[in-house]
Amino acid sequence: VVKTATTHLEQSIWAALAGVPDPEIPAVSVVDMGMIETVEVDAGRARIVVLPTFTGCPAVPVIKSDVAAAVNAVEGVDEVDVDTTFDPPWTTDRITAEGRVKLREFGLAPPGSSGPVLITEIGLPKQAKCPFCGSTDTVNENAFGPTPCRALYYCRACRNPFEQFKQV
Amino acid sequence: VSESLHAVLVALGDDELILGHRHSEWTGFAPQIEEDVAFSSIAQDEIGHAAAYYAIAGSISGDDPDRIGLGREAGDYRNAILCELENREWAFTLARHWLYDLADDMRLESLAGSEDDKLRALATKLRREERYHLIHADAWLTRIAQGPVEGRTRLIDALSEAFPAALGLFEPFETEEAAVKEGWLPVPSDELRRQFVATAGRRLDELGLPTEVTAGADSAAEFLASSSGDLIEAGRRAAEPEVDEKNLLGGRRGRHSKDFSVLWDTMTKTYREHEGASW
Repeated sequence: VVKTATTHLEQSIWAALAGVPDPEIPAVSVVDMGMIETVEVDAGRARIVVLPTFTGCPAVPVIKSDVAAAVNAVEGVDEVDVDTTFDPPWTTDRITAEGRVKLREFGLAPPGSSGPVLITEIGLPKQAKCPFCGSTDTVNENAFGPTPCRALYYCRACRNPFEQFKQV
Repeated sequence: VSESLHAVLVALGDDELILGHRHSEWTGFAPQIEEDVAFSSIAQDEIGHAAAYYAIAGSISGDDPDRIGLGREAGDYRNAILCELENREWAFTLARHWLYDLADDMRLESLAGSEDDKLRALATKLRREERYHLIHADAWLTRIAQGPVEGRTRLIDALSEAFPAALGLFEPFETEEAAVKEGWLPVPSDELRRQFVATAGRRLDELGLPTEVTAGADSAAEFLASSSGDLIEAGRRAAEPEVDEKNLLGGRRGRHSKDFSVLWDTMTKTYREHEGASW
């Protein structure tokens, strides 16, 4: 297989997207979060398909414009279309291994990573692993938090409150 | 262009928008700070979900989703009356929250089989998020059902009051017949309502919250969920009047309660005074 110029350009776009932070969790990029479904280029015109994380998340318009700006800055891209779709739905198993490490370093317990989650399995773990001390002696205090994607926990070991990225 | 699909999407969006607005009224006022956070977050979800329904509707009609959400006259909203009733007290809020989110879960499960690609994808996505709402509501019902008698009594009263209004979620959409025929609605509203009454009755029974569960005006049967057994058919009930008198049905046809005019005025005021503004 011969690598075409388009493929090279697509790779440059992916690299640029890896530098676009999630506005609410700037430690991770939209690529770490698995939000980029498609990167296509046709004669200098790029089309990016973004999967919104939580439907009610107000960060989506910001993400769209940040993605457009980053892709626009890539050499060889003349025009950018950024679309969103719910098909396929964004699910937490799309977050990369690297993304999970970054979430933990940011202070957010990452969601479980054992592949696709059935609707009936969605829920809060009784014990989430504390991102600060690693203890599982933790308790869920609220299924909801400061953003649609977060639940609140308390760590009995290090006595810190922390947030968990909710599994969907 | 499908008018029948458009009407369904707007009604679904209206349910979410109006209940989301009510939930948001707990921001700063809930009985516990954790519930203040929870209801604020649920409100944000519901209003975001409404925006997603309106976006699909807008792609059919060419309308701006904000205008669909905030630029209509009060009589043009098609939400079930359940969603617009004032929050009243905590027991009523929880009863409505549980009934709504159970109904929504069942409705989304059916819509995940819609013939419309966008609606099918959205319903699949929303159901995964709404799961947390149902878990939250069910946890509260469980807690109160096992708690002191006063709370339990107030919750049972609230459930009995909210239940007939919850059936308004399954009143036929204005374009029901066409929407079923064209495959947008895989399960007719009437059938979903029967499933809802059975499921809700069973769960309330498990929880030990005996609630008078009417199967709805036109099916003319009344069920009683008792704490000791299955649903009991308690007797035949003459058609409409009783529930209709309380003004709890008719939302899908644009009939609303007095509570709605106050909500509508507050909710749309900024939009009406600054049409086209963005922030």
